[in-house]
Amino acid sequence: MFEFAFNSLGEAIYMNGHGIYVWSVVVLVLISLLSFFIGYNLKIKKFKKKFNESN
Amino acid sequence: MIKKFIHQFASPKTYLFQVERVYKFILYFSLVVYFVSLIWGLLFTQEDFVQGNSFRIIYLHVPASFLSQSLYVSMAVASFVYIVWRVKLAAYLVISIAPIGALTTFIALTSGSIWGIPTWGTWWQWDARITSTLILFIMYLGLISLHSSFANYEKADKLLSWLAIVGAINVPIIKKSVDWWSTLHQSASITLTDKPSIDPSMLYPLIGSMIGFFGITICLVIISSKYQIFIREKNKSWIKEYV
Repeated sequence: MFEFAFNSLGEAIYMNGHGIYVWSVVVLVLISLLSFFIGYNLKIKKFKKKFNESN
Repeated sequence: MIKKFIHQFASPKTYLFQVERVYKFILYFSLVVYFVSLIWGLLFTQEDFVQGNSFRIIYLHVPASFLSQSLYVSMAVASFVYIVWRVKLAAYLVISIAPIGALTTFIALTSGSIWGIPTWGTWWQWDARITSTLILFIMYLGLISLHSSFANYEKADKLLSWLAIVGAINVPIIKKSVDWWSTLHQSASITLTDKPSIDPSMLYPLIGSMIGFFGITICLVIISSKYQIFIREKNKSWIKEYV
């Protein structure tokens, strides 16, 4: 169950021609999640800064 | 009694202090579970004999698809709580969940489209499952833009809650679309009543990725609701102590 499914790292990236689809989805998901985390944290930081300046 | 209980534990202040305590734990735990499951699924499970390696997209597509529907249901439940008991926090949660729901639906749609290219030979097909998911995405976007178009928060909360409840009818349609209509999608491989039709070596990392993605989504909802509470409660004295 925990055996590496490919013979080499290059093969794992290529995935018999399916790597382009698989890895592009990985990148898409990670970028989407990360951008939301960064976006909300920046919004909160901005709010706190503005709030502290006005009080 | 229920009303008293809800109001006691659902004040924005109590909520913020409570979630602050568990946020980091949920985030780190979910990230570890998600990445371990992804690596397991992407690199350590054997190739599917029908779909080849493209089946590995399942570890990203299914959690997003499941969460896109679950978040809508939780939004409808929060809307119901707001309408019945007038709990402010529930209204804040409704508008906090909507962008995260839109994000997960976007991930489900795009990952599904990319998966469709090697599997079905097309990135888009107007089949029942894809179309109803697209409607869900449009509903999320509609609710977000509708809420932001109101100057009066209370009016916006009320309208949004009613629309979220009415729109919940789309969730069982998405779920049952593969059974009711002939679609490109296969029937559910994992159900609550039957034994999973997916091999355990592929199933375990899938369950892990679903748990991890669920936790990450909860964390996104927490920071989104935190921001919403800051905006809506900024004139309250307790916010000064908190910020």
